[in-house]
Amino acid sequence: MTEYEVIIGLETHIQLNTTTKIFCACKADSWEDEPNTNICPVCTGLPGVLPVLNEAAVEKGALLAAAMHSEIRLTSFFDRKNYFYPDLPKGYQISQFDLALGKGGYLDLPMPDGSVRRVNIEKMHLEEDAGKTKYEHGVRYVDFNRCGVPLVEMVTGPDLRSADEAAQYLIRLRQLLRWIGISEANMEKGHLRCDANVSIRTVGSTVLNTKTEIKNVNSIEAVRAAILKEVERQIEVVESGGRVEAWTLDWDDAKGKLTKMRSKETEADYRYFREPDLLPLELTEAWREGVIASLPELPLARRARFRREFDLPEYDADILTSDRPISDYYEAAVSAYGGDPKVVSNWIMNEVLRMQNDLGVSADELVLKPQDLAEAIRLVEAGMINNATAKSLLVKVQESGKSPVRIVEEEGLAQVSDDSALQAAIDKILAANPDEVASYRGGKEGLFGWFMGQVMRETRGKADPKASRELLQKALRGEG
Amino acid sequence: MTDEISPDLFEHLVDLAAFAFDPEEAEYLRRELNNQLKAIHQLENVPLADDVPLASHGVTYTAETRAGLRPDNWAPCENPDEILAQAPQVENRYIIVPDIPHTKLD
Amino acid sequence: MTLMDQSAFITAQKVKAGERSAVEVLESALERIAVVDGRPGSLDYGELTDEDKAKVHAFITLTADRARQQAEAVDAKVRAGEAVGPLAGVPLSVKDIFTVKGMPSTAASRILATFTAPYTATAVQRLEAAGAINLGKVNLDEFTYGSSSESSAFQPSPRNPWDTSRVPGGSSGGSTASVAAGEALLSLGTDTAGSIRQPAAFCGVVGVKPTYGRVSRYGLIAFGSSLDCPGPVAANVRDAALMLGAMAGADPHDSTAAKVPVPDYLASLEQGVQGMRIGLSPDYMKITFPDAETGELVEQDLPEEIKAATLHAAEVLARLGAEIVEDVPMPHTAYGIPAYFVISRVEAASNLHRYDGVKYGYRTQSDYHDLNEMYRKTRAEGFGLQPKLRILMGMYVSAAQYAEQYYARALRVRSLLRSDFDAAFDPAGAYKLDALLTPTTPTTAFKMADVYGDSVLMQYADQLTVPANHAGIPGLSLPGGIASDGLPIGVQFLAPDFAEETLFRAGQAFETATAAEAWRKIKPEVLR
Repeated sequence: MTEYEVIIGLETHIQLNTTTKIFCACKADSWEDEPNTNICPVCTGLPGVLPVLNEAAVEKGALLAAAMHSEIRLTSFFDRKNYFYPDLPKGYQISQFDLALGKGGYLDLPMPDGSVRRVNIEKMHLEEDAGKTKYEHGVRYVDFNRCGVPLVEMVTGPDLRSADEAAQYLIRLRQLLRWIGISEANMEKGHLRCDANVSIRTVGSTVLNTKTEIKNVNSIEAVRAAILKEVERQIEVVESGGRVEAWTLDWDDAKGKLTKMRSKETEADYRYFREPDLLPLELTEAWREGVIASLPELPLARRARFRREFDLPEYDADILTSDRPISDYYEAAVSAYGGDPKVVSNWIMNEVLRMQNDLGVSADELVLKPQDLAEAIRLVEAGMINNATAKSLLVKVQESGKSPVRIVEEEGLAQVSDDSALQAAIDKILAANPDEVASYRGGKEGLFGWFMGQVMRETRGKADPKASRELLQKALRGEG
Repeated sequence: MTDEISPDLFEHLVDLAAFAFDPEEAEYLRRELNNQLKAIHQLENVPLADDVPLASHGVTYTAETRAGLRPDNWAPCENPDEILAQAPQVENRYIIVPDIPHTKLD
Repeated sequence: MTLMDQSAFITAQKVKAGERSAVEVLESALERIAVVDGRPGSLDYGELTDEDKAKVHAFITLTADRARQQAEAVDAKVRAGEAVGPLAGVPLSVKDIFTVKGMPSTAASRILATFTAPYTATAVQRLEAAGAINLGKVNLDEFTYGSSSESSAFQPSPRNPWDTSRVPGGSSGGSTASVAAGEALLSLGTDTAGSIRQPAAFCGVVGVKPTYGRVSRYGLIAFGSSLDCPGPVAANVRDAALMLGAMAGADPHDSTAAKVPVPDYLASLEQGVQGMRIGLSPDYMKITFPDAETGELVEQDLPEEIKAATLHAAEVLARLGAEIVEDVPMPHTAYGIPAYFVISRVEAASNLHRYDGVKYGYRTQSDYHDLNEMYRKTRAEGFGLQPKLRILMGMYVSAAQYAEQYYARALRVRSLLRSDFDAAFDPAGAYKLDALLTPTTPTTAFKMADVYGDSVLMQYADQLTVPANHAGIPGLSLPGGIASDGLPIGVQFLAPDFAEETLFRAGQAFETATAAEAWRKIKPEVLR
C-alpha cells in the first residue's frame, strides 16, 4: 500500500485589537452590535471617501513581524485588490501585495518528540477586513460593521506535515498573539481565522502536488477535523486513479462536511496596483528598533528558560507559559519567595489557576499578588499555618485585599503548637470519649485519624498537625 | 491590422467588469478601445532607462509634508442610518442582495 | 450691471461691510440663473427645443432654499458684528462630483442619480465655512470622463455662454459656464487632465489646478486618484486666489493632502513679474496624435491665433519685467495623453468597482436570478458609455498578464513627464524657470457633437494640460484673447510644486496689464 505524506500550509487572518478600524475612526470591535451601526462613509465605501491609516495597526503589525522574526520593511506599500463581493463595499480591498510590512520570518514549533518544526512565513501584510454576510431563505444579508477592521494576513510555507502539526501551529500562534498583546485571538469570534492549503504526495517524493484550500475553519478542532477529512478524500481520489483538482472547499463544522466553493481556474485576476489614496508607509530605523526592543521574551523562549533556570518539568513549564500574566505571576512569586521554584509552581498550578478559572480573570487581575502567595508559602514553611489554612488564606487575601500575615493575626489563624493548649484539648477529648479510647487501646488503631479530626475540630483547624500527632499518640498510649 | 482586443478578449473584459452589452454597444466600445490602444502604443517609442522609477503622485512627499498616520481614537459616525438609507434594499438593518452561486461537493 | 458682474472679492468686502446683504447678492444670482440657465439637467429630458439650445444649462441641482438660509446666516452675523469669512455672501456653484450632506451627489451618472450624500466634501465644507453661498450642483461629463460635458447622463448638458452651439469644455463645463454666465461668482471644479483649465479656456474664465495635495480630495468622487485635484473657477485671478486660500491645506481625512502651509495668496498678488523667469516651449506649440487609420503619430502646429495669444502674453510679461526664456525643451509632452490613457483608466476602473447596486444609487429594475446578474444589469444600465470605456480599458491594461507592458510602462513615462518639469524649474539647471507659459488648449471651443463619440480625439483636447497632472504641479488658465470665431482663447501658466503664488502673481500682472485691451470688453453671447 502506498504511503502518503501530507503537506499543509496555513493562511491566517489575525484581527488586531486596536481601538478603531484600520482606515477610519469607527471602533474595531463591534461583536455585539446591531448590524450596520458601526459604520461610517469611509468603511462603507461611499463615493468620495479616502482611507487614513491607523498608527496603532502599524505598531501592532510591526510587533507581530518582530515576534515572527520577520524583517520590518522601512518602506512598504498598500495596494488595491480588486474584486466584486457584496461584503466588500469599495469593490477592492486595501491590502499589501509585493512590498508588505513584514518580509519572511518563521515560528519554531516544539514537537512532542522533542524535535522542532520550523514553519516559514511567506507573506505577512496589513489589510482591511470585509463585512459579514449570512444566507437565509434564498437571500443574502450584509452587515458592514466589521468592514475595515485591521487584519494581518500571515501565510506559512508548505511546512506542516499533519493535521496535528497544523493544530499545534495555531495553538502556538494564538499563544504568541495574546502574549504580545496584539490580538484577542479568539477563533470563535473570528479574531484568528484560518484557511488550510492541503495536498498529499507519496512518501519520499519532493514535488508539491495540486492543493486544495479549505476555508471557514473556525476552531483548532475544526482545522484538525477538516484537514483529516480532506486528506482522506484526496487519498481516495488518487487511489481510484483520479487527480486532485485545485478546489476551494468550505468546511461545515456542524455536519463535518466539505463543500466545493469555486474552481481556482476561474479565480478572478485581482489586478493589484498601488493604492493611490495612501502614501507609502515610511518608518524610521529608530522606530523599528523601538518596536524590536519593546518585544517581550516570547513564550517558547520563556518556556525553555523556565525548564533550564527553575528546573521545572515540561508540563509545569508549558502551563506556566500558557499566557503572559500567569507566566509573569510565576516569576514574580518565585523571586518574592526565594525558595524552591517547583514549590511555587505547585501552589500556582493548584490554587492560583483554580482561583483564576473560578473568577474568570487573568493572573494580573487577581487581588492576590505574587508577593502574597510567596508570603503565604513562607508561613506554611515556618510552621505558622498548615496547608489547609494556607489555601483558605489565599481566598481571604483575594477577597479582602489584606496581606496574609495580617489576616493570620487578625483572625488568629496561627497554628496551636503550644503544648499545654494542645494537651488540654486532647485530655478533654479523651475524657469525653471513653469507648473510643478503649477500642483504640484494644487494637483498633484506625481510630487514630478520628482522634486527630477531633483535635482539629476542637482547635478549629489551627492545631499544628505534627505536634498534635505526637501528643495524641502519647495520650492514647496512656503516657500523657 | 488585427484588433488587439478581439471579440473574445472583449468578452473576458466585460466579464471582469461585470457588464452586459448589446452587440451594437459592444462594437462601439471595442472599436474605441482598439483606437485608444493605438495611442497607448506610442509609449513604446519612449526610451526607458532601467533606473526610471514607477511614478506615484508626481509630487514628492517628504517627512515634513506627509500627513502622518491617524491616532487610534474612536469617533463614531453621527448618522449611520443616513448611510443605510441609501441602500436599495434593507431588512432589519441588513442590506439585502441576491444570493451568490454555490456548488455542492458530494 | 448687476451684482453678479462684480468680483467675488468686492462682493465679500461689501457684504462684510454691510453695504450689500448676502441675500441681495443671492437673489441677483438666482435671477441671472432664471434668465440664462434654462431647465436643469435631468435623466428624463426628452427632445431639446430651440430655447434649450440657447441656454447655458449649467445646473443639475439648484438648492435655492438652502442657499437662502446660508445667506441669511451670513447677514445675521454681519448685523451682529460677528466675524464672517473671506467669501462672505459670495455665490458659489459646486461641480456635482463633490458630496454635500443632504444634497443629491450624482457625478452626472444614472448610477448615482438617487444618491444623497450623508457627508460633505472638505473643500465644500471649507468654502461654506468661509461664508460662500452654495447655490447647488453644476453639470459635468459623467464621472468627469470627458472634455466637453456632453457625456452627462443629465441632459441638456451645459453649453458655452459665448456661443450656445458650442461646448463649454469639460469636464468642469458646468462650473466654467456658470461663472462665465455670471450665475455664480465662483465654482468648485476638479482637474484630472485639464478638466478645470480646458473649460476655463473655452469659457473665458480663470481656472486653477492646484498642486496635487494642495486641496483635500475628501468628498471628491474619485476618477484618477493620483491625478485628481479640486480647484477654483473664477472670473478673475484675484477671486481664484481668494478661493484657493479658503480651501487649501492639510486634512485629517486625506492622507495625500500635504502638510504645506497655505500662504496668503492675496498678499503677494500684486508683486508683479519683475525678474521672474518665464519659459516658452516649442513642445507646447504643437499637438501630436495618432492617425485614426494607421496609428502613426501625426504632428500638427497649433492654430496661429492660439500661438499668437501665448506669444502676446509673453510680450506683455516681458514688458512688465519678466525674463522670457525661449526654447525650453519639454520632450515628453506628446506622451502625456498615451500615459494618461493607461494610468487614469486603471484607477478609474478600480474606483468604479463600488457602484454595484448593493449600497447606494441605482439597482437594476429588471429581474435577476443571482448576484452576478444583478451586478451586470445594474452596471450596464447605470453607467454611460464613457465610464464603461474607462473601466474596460482599465481592466485590460492592469490585468496580470498586461500590467507590466502597459501600466508599469505608463508609470515610468509619467516619471519622465515629471522630469521635464524638474529640469525646467531646477534653480541650478539650465532654465531656472519660475513658470512655463503655454496655450491651454489646442483649439477654441468646438461645436456640440463634433468630437463627442470619438474618445481618442476628445482626449487629445487635454494634451497641453495633462502633463501638469502627471507631474502633480500647479497650473492656471486665464483668458488670453478672443479668436476670430469670437471665442475665448486661454493661456496657461505652470509652476513648481506648491508655487501657486507664482501663478497668481503672473496671472494678475497679465490681467492688469491687458485690462484695457479691446478683447477684454467683449461679453459672452448670453449676456449681450
